[in-house]
Order: sequence, then structure tokens, then C-alpha cells
Amino acid sequence: MTTSRRIFLKGMLATPAAFGTFPIFSAIAQTAGGGALTVAIMKPAGDLNPHKYAGLWGVQDLIFEPLIRYGRNGEALPCLATEWALEEGGKLLRLKLRQGVTFQDGAAWNAESCMWNLDRWIGKDAQNWMNLSRAYESKKIIDENTVEIRFKEPVLGLLYELSFIRPSRFLSPKSVDKDGAYQAPVGTGPWIQDSATNEGSSFRRFDGYWGDKPSFERLELKVLPDSRSRMAALRAGEIDLTGGDFLAPLTANEATTLKKAGIEVSVETGTTTIVLGFNPDRNAALKDARVRKAINIGFDRAAIAQVLYQGLAQPAGNFFAPTVPMAGKRLDVPKRDVAAAKALLEEAGWTGDEIREKDGKPLAVELVASEEQIAGSRAVAEVMQAQLREIGIDLTIRSIDHASRHSDIPARKYDMAFFLTFGAPYEPFGSIVGLFLSTYDNGVDGKLFLDAQNLDPLVTAVMQASEANIETALQNIYDWLQAEVAVAPLLYVPSMWAHSPRVKGFTPPTTEYDLPYEGITLSEQG
Amino acid sequence: MLSLVSRRVRNSLVLLVLATLLCFTLVVSAPGNIAVLIAELRSPNASFADIQKIEEELGLNDPIPVRYAGWLTGALTGNLGISYKTGEEVGPALASRIPVTAMLVAGGGTVALLLSLVFGFAGAMWPRHWPDVAGRGVALLGASMPSFFVGALLIYAFAVELRLVPTFGLAGPSSWILPWITIGLLPAAVLSRVVRVGLEEAMARPFALTAVAKGLNRRAILFRDALPNIAPTYINALGAQTGVMVVGAVVVEPLFAWHGVGDLFLTGIRFRDFMVVQACLLIFISFFILLNLLVDIGMIFTDPKLRRQGS
Repeated sequence: MTTSRRIFLKGMLATPAAFGTFPIFSAIAQTAGGGALTVAIMKPAGDLNPHKYAGLWGVQDLIFEPLIRYGRNGEALPCLATEWALEEGGKLLRLKLRQGVTFQDGAAWNAESCMWNLDRWIGKDAQNWMNLSRAYESKKIIDENTVEIRFKEPVLGLLYELSFIRPSRFLSPKSVDKDGAYQAPVGTGPWIQDSATNEGSSFRRFDGYWGDKPSFERLELKVLPDSRSRMAALRAGEIDLTGGDFLAPLTANEATTLKKAGIEVSVETGTTTIVLGFNPDRNAALKDARVRKAINIGFDRAAIAQVLYQGLAQPAGNFFAPTVPMAGKRLDVPKRDVAAAKALLEEAGWTGDEIREKDGKPLAVELVASEEQIAGSRAVAEVMQAQLREIGIDLTIRSIDHASRHSDIPARKYDMAFFLTFGAPYEPFGSIVGLFLSTYDNGVDGKLFLDAQNLDPLVTAVMQASEANIETALQNIYDWLQAEVAVAPLLYVPSMWAHSPRVKGFTPPTTEYDLPYEGITLSEQG
Repeated sequence: MLSLVSRRVRNSLVLLVLATLLCFTLVVSAPGNIAVLIAELRSPNASFADIQKIEEELGLNDPIPVRYAGWLTGALTGNLGISYKTGEEVGPALASRIPVTAMLVAGGGTVALLLSLVFGFAGAMWPRHWPDVAGRGVALLGASMPSFFVGALLIYAFAVELRLVPTFGLAGPSSWILPWITIGLLPAAVLSRVVRVGLEEAMARPFALTAVAKGLNRRAILFRDALPNIAPTYINALGAQTGVMVVGAVVVEPLFAWHGVGDLFLTGIRFRDFMVVQACLLIFISFFILLNLLVDIGMIFTDPKLRRQGS
């Protein structure tokens, strides 16, 4: 049996080596070519159907265009519509469509294809989270390049909603099957998708694009799920661009490290705010505005900005960042004041040396944090835990994952929790209506604060306000939120991107839902 | 020997059913409701009624044994279900990823095999000299460092600084080197000690003394007589370390952007994609059981005592 043992051992040595080197995999283009911008994304682009909610926003934006584009600071810019007019007190929208536009498969962009797209989503139940879909009444083709949409009532934030990536974008009517089912991502945008796999997506420039064409011919998206890999690939020159909240987020630590390594990093104040939300319905202590106010001044926002963003984020005094349209009068950032916080708690009847008590009950509050929602939120919660303990509040932290958060937040299973406002182009109306109006079902995002008696009328006033009065109506809400300390804004989330030296002319995208390619040129000297 | 193997196969099947049942129970009992996530994909403001409808559609309110039976029946007929996140069939998605993980583990296994034999043999050939000390050093380092740390160091040194190999992807042999070393270093460290200690023990046994008395040199005795004698121990340890590599794939694959089963498993866990998680677990469990079966058979081949016991 010695021979069989030796043969077995030799075979064992040879098998894995042979299997391991067997060339069963096709090569994947790896490094950035001269005419290609290579961008890291953290997960595959997914189903890009613009009328569904599954794909990566930034990738959908490469292919599908809106009627109106959301410009910097909320300016409405013409895109597939060149002119628009609101008539009959905001109930009738007349749109003049851009001429000379074709879809990537040659189909014509006109009133008919516009209507065909609207038929796929407008007024349907699943899209009723959008004001324009909920208020939709009818639509009509006026001529080949003019359409009218009629609403039951004036639509809050109508032009912003027309700029949303989904479901407001336009798919080629020729790209679907005979039953009208979505088959392939074909839009009017500047990029045509050539391939999409688990490893990434590949795009080529649409030479028939009506607008300014990109200066480079190809766009490669590489799926790099691990942020360390993205950093290494950027430093090694294998990718050109990474960042953005939804494409491949950069942490502040990573941004700082990349900057030190000579990589160009762009940090700007974004349009999203991290907000601490209170749930007085679950914890009676939080019903008292004095307790909420004590909490609001009981922790140090600058310290939190340092923990979470290494000082790259601005501490927040307002509910919205200054980059959001109609964000209201700017307020001072609340400063930590231990003595004032203690005095407020004393006044509210919470007394004691260590953990304060009232009627024999300790002042205990649970804070829910999800690392998958906000990376580093556990550390922030710990900072708050230590600082609030100094004023006599026993803060317990409950860390949950993405799926649990999506169950617990709508079910209001928290005393305090971190929330993110939606950011442009959904602001200011998206967060105001979605997060505060008690009668509006906000799905998994839940509610930041509920007060049907006092807050709902203010939100309703915004929804019914004329264009001339809308800023005043919004300011009334901001004032109420501040007076009641109904929410505690913490930080304005910075928009962070990093790019290789060969990327010239980079400007951060208008919203975190976009992938920045406009204005970029590629230098071979990189 | 046949009865020994058939007994092992029967035990493996029982183990497979019990292990999948346990995993299924744990996965579906985890906090968080998948119906909420699916509802969010269908409409950003899905109501509780929508969520309840999805729960009904997916049978999430059924008792766990009923759900397990449904899943098992599907799995036996080759239907591993539909991914809750992508809506695609899990079977083909998994099938496209198995070769990637197989390549990673096979490559890592080759690295482990070669390094362990080289370092172990060199240590036994020149005990307490520099090859032995170097082997111990590598073993200590390899066993002490987690694979994500090894991978990050290797990427920094060889891909970022020296630019000898790519940092990520599956683009030919140069891109295979770092993932293979990353996943193979820990098993190499453990196995090199198995070889080194095993050979030393074998060299103290009477057959080695006889060979020395016959005038054979140390290298010949180690290679021809001592090495085959440590085979059962080595195969046993190699089996366990291959299991370690499969688990390590969950960490190493995302690091190098290899889109294998480990990467799919991690994504599935994040999204509570039970079908994906359960299918991945089925693959992992089946692999472990198959591996143990192969190790048992390998030991029967290499250990005459076991063969006699079987017959």
C-alpha cells in the first residue's frame, strides 16, 4: 500500500495547483484607459429601470434625463423641457419639450414618448409619495412638442419633483417588450450602457446626445465593496474617482488620509443634515420641552463633528444647511452649556446628583444608532452618552443594523434616534412633509417629531401656500421647531469626493444622487 | 473500507439536514423585517398594509418548520428561491460566483500547501538553524495577523507603493497573487508547524534510526520515510484549514473586489436576503461536510491502521 499512499499524496499536491491556475475566467479590463473615466461604486448598479426603486441613482442619472434639472441651490434648469408655465393657480402645468432630441436607440423624444413614460407611473399608488402623482388628474398632448398636465390641486415642490431620478425620468418606448415590460436601460442621456456585471458597468459616450458631450469616450464603473480597496485603487491609479453618499462613500478619516497621500479631495457642505429626533410618545420625560432643550445644549456639536467627520462637517444650528433652498433664517449653533442644562432639568423637576430622578423614576433615555445608516454614529452616541451623564441623564445606546432600523423607526421603537434629512433635490418640502406631517405615511424613514395639534397645521399651511408666501410658511415651521426644541440638528453632512490627479475640472455634483462627470477632462500626465 | 466510507456518507447527510435547519432557524429569527425592505424597493412610502401584504406573499408569517420544509423542497429540486433584493433567481447568481470562491480557496490552498511544506521541511532539515527560525517567524506572523490586515498590508506594499500587481479585480495571474497569499498565509503558518513538529517526531522513531544506521542521509529519510508518515495528521489539519479559508473568503473577497460566494453572503446578510444567505450557508455547509468526507477518505488511504479498522 506504500505506492497507493505516495500516489495519493502526489495527486493531492497537484490537484489544487492545477485547479487554481486553470484559466476559467475571462480577463476584465482593469486600469483606466486614456479615454475612460474609471469610477468606484460600492455595489453593482442593479436594475436601472427608471420607474422602479432598485438601481443606483447616480448610474440611472447617466442614462435617463428629467424634464427639468435641479441646479445648484435649487435653481430649476431646462433639460428635456425647455419652457414651462403654471396656470390656473398652479393646477395646470404646460411644458414645451426640447426639439431635436432622440433616445439612444433612435426613438424620437416628443409629446408622445413623454406621455408614454408618464403613463407608466403618474397617478399610480406606488408613486403617491410624490405630490405630483398624488394630485395628478389628467394629461393632454397639445402638439408634437407641447404637453399639459392637470392636477387636482397646486403641487408643492412640483418642479423639484420633475427633476427626481425616479420615477420622473424618461425611458425609450422602443426599448420595452411587446407587453411594455422594461428590457434595457435606454434613455436620452449622454451615456449608453454597454455591459453590466457583478464586477461593474461599462458605458460609452452617446454621440447623438443633444447637450454638451463628455470630453472622454468611456465611463467605467468598478464595484469595490470595501472602502479600503477603493482608497488603495485610487492611490494606485486604478480608479479616477470615488465618493458620494450613495455611490462609494468616503469617511472623513479616509478623506484626510487620501489628502495626505497627495490625492485631490473635495469637501463641501452638502444638503443633508444629521438630526437627533425625540419620541415623547415612548419616553414621557421627553414630552417636556425643557428636557429636550437640556439635551440639546448638553452635548458638544463641535466634538461630534470631530468624532464623526474630523472637523470636515459644519455643526448645525438650522434644520437645513445653507445649501438647501428656502432653508430659513440662519441660527447660531447651540453651544454646550452644562450649567444651563442642569438648571433646565432642575426646573423640570428632575433632581439628584448622579442620575436625576423625578417621582422615583430615573431620567433614562434610549438612543438608537445604526452604523449602516451613519458610519460612526455609535461613536457619536458614546460621546453624547458621556456628556449627557454630566448633566444627570442616563443614556443607553442601542446599536441596530439597516434592516432593524427600517422596522424600528417607522414603528417608533426609540426614545431618541439619529435621522438624516433627504437632501437635494427633495428639500425643503420632502423632509418637512415626510418627517413632520402626522397624516403622511413616510414609510421606512419614519417621523422626526409628531404634534398633530401644533405642527400639522404649520405643515399644511406650507402645502397650501402660494409661491409668494411659501418662504414665510416654511419659516413658521423652522421657528416652531426651534422654540419647542422638537428636533436637535447636529451636523450638515459634507459632500466628499476624491479623484486622481489626471481628473481635471472636477466639481462636486449638485446632489448626492448624481454621478459627477460634467466638466471633467482627463489628463494623461496624471 | 467501503462500509467505512458509506457510514461517513450517511452521517454527512444527517449532519447536512441538521446544520441547514439550525442555520435556517437562526437566519429567519434575526431581528429586522425583510418585508419592510422589499416594500421600500417597491415604493418609498410603503404603508403597513403593503408590508403585511408582502409578509403574506413571502409566507413570512408561517411557522419556521413550514418555511424550512418549503425551502428544503425547493433546494432539493434545484430551486433556491428568488433574491428578495434583486428579484433574480438565487441559483444562477450563486453558480456564477462559486468558481470565483473556488479559485480563491484553491489558490490559497496551493500557497498554504507549498509554503507549509517548504518551511516545515526546511525547519526539520536544519533544526535550530536560520531556516527553522525563519519558518517559526513566518508561522508566528501568519498565525497572529488577521487576513484583512495581511491583505491591506500586501495591497499597500505591492500594489500601491511598488505597483507590481493590481489592487483589485480578477484580471489575469498578476491579480491572483495577493488574494491567494492573503487567504493562504494563516493556513500556511499552522500547517508549517504541523509539518515541522511531525517530522521531528518521526525522526525520533525507530524506523528513522534504522535508516540512519543504514547510512541514508537526513534529507532522504525526511523525504522518503518521515514525510509520508505525517500524512494523516497533515491531511486532517489541511481539511480544517481549508474550512478556515472558506470562512476567510467572506473577508478577503470584498477586499480584493472578487465577487464570489463570500461577497454575496455578506451582501445577503446586510439586506436580510434570507434566500441568498440560506443558499450561501447551504454551499458552505455542504462544502464543509464534503471536505470532512474527503479528509476521512484521505486518511483511510494514508493511514493503514484506519484501513484495517474499516475492513
